[in-house]
Amino acid sequence: MSRSAAAQRRASRGSRREEHARIARERAAAAARQKRIRLAGAAVGGVVLLLAAMVVVKLSLPRSEPAAAGPVPSTVVDDLLHVPTGTLDAVGRGKVATLPTALTGRPALTDGGKPLVLYVGAEYCPFCAAQRWGLIVALSRFGTFTGLGAARSATDDVYPGTATLTFHGATYSSPYLAFQGVEVATSERRGNSYAPLDTLTAAQQAVLAEYSSNGAVPFVDLGNRYVMTGATFSPSVLTGLTHQQVVTSLGAPDSPVAAAVLGSANAFTAALCQLTGGQPGDVCTGIAAGAFPELRHAG
Amino acid sequence: MPDEPRRWVAPSTVALSAAGLALSTYLTIEHFRDPGTLACPATATVNCARVTTSAQATLLGVPVAVLGVVFFVAMVLACLPFAWRDLRLTWVRAALAGVGVGFVIYLVYAELFLVGSICLWCTAVHAVTLALFAAVAFATAARGVPRPR
Repeated sequence: MSRSAAAQRRASRGSRREEHARIARERAAAAARQKRIRLAGAAVGGVVLLLAAMVVVKLSLPRSEPAAAGPVPSTVVDDLLHVPTGTLDAVGRGKVATLPTALTGRPALTDGGKPLVLYVGAEYCPFCAAQRWGLIVALSRFGTFTGLGAARSATDDVYPGTATLTFHGATYSSPYLAFQGVEVATSERRGNSYAPLDTLTAAQQAVLAEYSSNGAVPFVDLGNRYVMTGATFSPSVLTGLTHQQVVTSLGAPDSPVAAAVLGSANAFTAALCQLTGGQPGDVCTGIAAGAFPELRHAG
Repeated sequence: MPDEPRRWVAPSTVALSAAGLALSTYLTIEHFRDPGTLACPATATVNCARVTTSAQATLLGVPVAVLGVVFFVAMVLACLPFAWRDLRLTWVRAALAGVGVGFVIYLVYAELFLVGSICLWCTAVHAVTLALFAAVAFATAARGVPRPR
């Protein structure tokens, strides 16, 4: 055996050892990589499982239900339904954030031959809570409400527990106007929403679907000559107030509550006068009704 | 020595970070803007106003939407191609992604158990953050991590 052949064998054995070592290193690296990927998968999977578990627990928990509003003193409703004309005049435009939008060329919305005012809201909704005050004051100048009850918006929503009155169970009579007030839900938690209350008729549903984006509330349609989705003022004005405090504040025209609620009422009054042809005269020719000239001459 | 990052890593993580930044910017604008529509949504469960005006919408006085903007700006920078090539940023990027998803867990808890409503815009941010965490985790794991010196 020659010396060179032995050297060749030694070199070959060394090369095989290096090859084996390289393969071993690659296998170790691949195993480490797999381990790291499994670790990453476990971390991501753990987060997803944790989030899913929270959703499952949430869905299986019983909901706490807020206490219902107590009975409203009769004087509150009486005072609200009979706000002195002088106070409404003194407030004038007051301080309102948004106004009803005038429609043109739409068929009149009527009920029993009278222009129909349709309100759609929900008792849990704080913006509905704000909107009702001004609407009630305005409509009371054209007719008479009976059966208005106390309510508060949901205590687990924004502007929690905003004092208001509910149209559920109330009736309205007027020689000039018809009114339909629909409260689609209470402020009592039911599952992930609130307990349903009034059901919209097909006609009411059609009006809501036509003018209110995504069924948002409060929605008001004034005879199809004005519509409004949302409140005329922010519920923040009413934060922390009882029903009695709200009504008491209405007696002071320079108070923020009066500026918001009675300003809203005067805006609705101006619009309603367009529906009634200026009737009754003492309301529609008054200072308060003239505070919103932009709401005249609709449709 | 860690491998080069895969081709999909930088574009996908930058895209996710940019999407998160856009959503957080929108939520920040909404946080500081007066409510335009004084209305309630048709359903009570999905209620962005309720979530974004809750006590949990700020942390130590800072709106969480602003924290989201800061987070996604940092993630955009940490996920640019040059940043993926810089091994020194590996742990920084992974830690950022971990902090982000940890905050998401807290915010989902707050929405479900403290506020009682969810906001779809916030949920979109949470989904993006989770996807970003997954992308960073798998990309870092596949590439290998430098050993701390």
